Amino acid sequence: MSGVNLSGIVKSYGAMQVVHGIDLTVAEKEFVVLVGPSGCGKSTTLRMIAGLEEITAGDLTIHDRRVNRIAPKDRDVAMVFQNYALYPHLNVADNMAFGLRIRKMPKNEIKTTIDDVAEILGLTEYLDRRPADLSGGQRQRVAMGRAIVRHPKVFLFDEPLSNLDAKLRTQMRAEIKRLHKRLGVTSVYVTHDQVEAMTLADRIVVMNNGAIEQIGTPMELFNNPSNTFVAGFLGSPPMNQMKGTLTDSGALVGDVEIKINGATGPHAGRNVIVGIRPEHVTLTAEEGTSPLPINLDLVEPLGSEALLHARHGEDNLVFKANTENDIDSLSGVNKVHIPAHLVKIFDADTGKALVLGD
Amino acid sequence: MMKWNLYSRGDKFFAIVVSVLIGLFTVATLYPFIYIAAVSFSSGFAAQAGKVVLTPIDATIEAYGYILKDPQFWISYRNTFIYTIGGTIMSLMFIIPCAYALSRPQLKGRRFFNLFIAFTMWFNAGLIPFFLNMRDLGLLDSMFGIILGFAINAFNIILLRNFFESIPQSFEEAARMDGANDFQVLWKVFIPLSKPAIATITLFLIVARWNGFFWAMVLLQSESKIPLQVFLRHTISNLSDDDEFAIVQTAAGFSAETVTAAIIVCSIIPVLIVYPFIQKYFEKGILLGGVKE
Ligand SMILES: Nc1ncnc2c1ncn2[C@@H]1O[C@H](COP(=O)(O)OP(=O)(O)O)[C@@H](O)[C@H]1O
Ligand SMILES: [Mg+2]
Repeated sequence: MSGVNLSGIVKSYGAMQVVHGIDLTVAEKEFVVLVGPSGCGKSTTLRMIAGLEEITAGDLTIHDRRVNRIAPKDRDVAMVFQNYALYPHLNVADNMAFGLRIRKMPKNEIKTTIDDVAEILGLTEYLDRRPADLSGGQRQRVAMGRAIVRHPKVFLFDEPLSNLDAKLRTQMRAEIKRLHKRLGVTSVYVTHDQVEAMTLADRIVVMNNGAIEQIGTPMELFNNPSNTFVAGFLGSPPMNQMKGTLTDSGALVGDVEIKINGATGPHAGRNVIVGIRPEHVTLTAEEGTSPLPINLDLVEPLGSEALLHARHGEDNLVFKANTENDIDSLSGVNKVHIPAHLVKIFDADTGKALVLGD
Repeated sequence: MMKWNLYSRGDKFFAIVVSVLIGLFTVATLYPFIYIAAVSFSSGFAAQAGKVVLTPIDATIEAYGYILKDPQFWISYRNTFIYTIGGTIMSLMFIIPCAYALSRPQLKGRRFFNLFIAFTMWFNAGLIPFFLNMRDLGLLDSMFGIILGFAINAFNIILLRNFFESIPQSFEEAARMDGANDFQVLWKVFIPLSKPAIATITLFLIVARWNGFFWAMVLLQSESKIPLQVFLRHTISNLSDDDEFAIVQTAAGFSAETVTAAIIVCSIIPVLIVYPFIQKYFEKGILLGGVKE
């Protein structure tokens, strides 16, 4: 049984199509994150699952029941909104009890449910407060509590952490992950923040312009992005991309040849994008690396590591370097070394990853 | 509050002009009340002679004694309460759901309905057709007719509709996810969030009903059904050309003027009592905290 299944899901507003046929299966108990730049259709997709937007075409099933034409209340899903949408006139307990009262749960059952969930979320002492008297993190917890008390089949989250400051966001992120481990409810989570996606997801769905670019586990997507968009979206900083041409033994970038593992010969002469992650380069030559001369613009110390902003020809590049040794010595860097087995190659025209034979 | 010394010369001038204007306006609004109250407690002679300016002259409560003994005064007072309470409730029952429906983007034909309702603010059938309409519906000389006939008012609907529209969409969506149907969304979310707006239109409705005069006079014949305002009108016209009354009043120390003033004072008191209770709902910021913009 699948938790949620989208098949050929399309959304149009009038003549404008904003979601172009999405296929996605979320397994039961799985935590799937939809990630992509703002305006790519994540919320629209989520809201179609919630039942807040009509589905223009395609099939949506929840626990193998087709729910295209089922009202939100009968889909057995709960949603956490970006702006929380807590009822301002009700206190925390009543906010959480709202849905239970409408569903006519007996009073004493409501009380025990609310108490349990408040305990889990650390809200016990705030049950009498109104939303206006809570901090951002507490409101966020109430919003989650409201979803949890209902024991729905599916949790939907629409950028739930985007209104919190950075520190709280990290904290709540961990809390959401812990909750998911504990409750094991199928979850679809929308964010534009790739760090959130990487840390929370069992599987990530990268979206762009109303379509799916790639689906996979965080490490799959990180190690084997299927196209330049995914490569440039995940990772911080994202993968460096340089224009190049394949040769018999590697790729020519400007007048420098970078060695690549795999048989480039059959593709020689092809225009490609050469991708290398910032953290994959070394500052000293090692077995299987090729040097890339760079003009260093700026060194940004981050503590245990530093970001080197540099140029090679027309390409702007960013590399990560350890600061164990001496941060001052980094300002003298004029080349980096690229390990052949970590270089990614994409077709220059389509942006799709090229798989090379051995 | 800014320090007076930090005001520029222009700002000082402006502040003084504003204060003077507000002062004048306050006096202009307040004086009629004081005058009427003073007249109602003055002797008939003093009132007739136009001696009353600010305080009662030859203070007496004879005028009140006269009207409070009149059973018709109590009947019309009761009727005014019935019209005000019944009419206000009836209006709210129509206006709130109507405004809610018109505020929902999912309402089919919403623009058309909105236009149609706004249209009635500027154009209506007019006096005679309305009268004939009421007659044909069998609502002449009917208390229910008065309550029903004036229940709907486009201005209030639009006022409340605008307020409903300003409530973030996500409250409705959250309530729907929580399992609420349309009626529950309205009753459990929108109405509690709209207390200030509903208090405002409730006050408008109460005042309009309480002072309602013209249509009550046109539509009602039975003395047993008339409201206070119509009774007041009858009193004014009856007393001024009633010779017998002229003799009684001279002896008793009141006049048509003081009796009229006393009725007006009696009719103002309930509004003064109700206002503070409604006013407390005019608080701002009830939406704060529920959503984060
Ligand atoms: N009600 C609407 N009417 C018309 N276009 C809309 C509506 N809602 C969203 N869109 C459009 O659909 C696209 C996707 O929006 P959305 O799903 O909110 O993006 P995301 O959540 O990924 O930032 C955007 O281009 C947006 O302008
Ligand atoms: Mg969004």
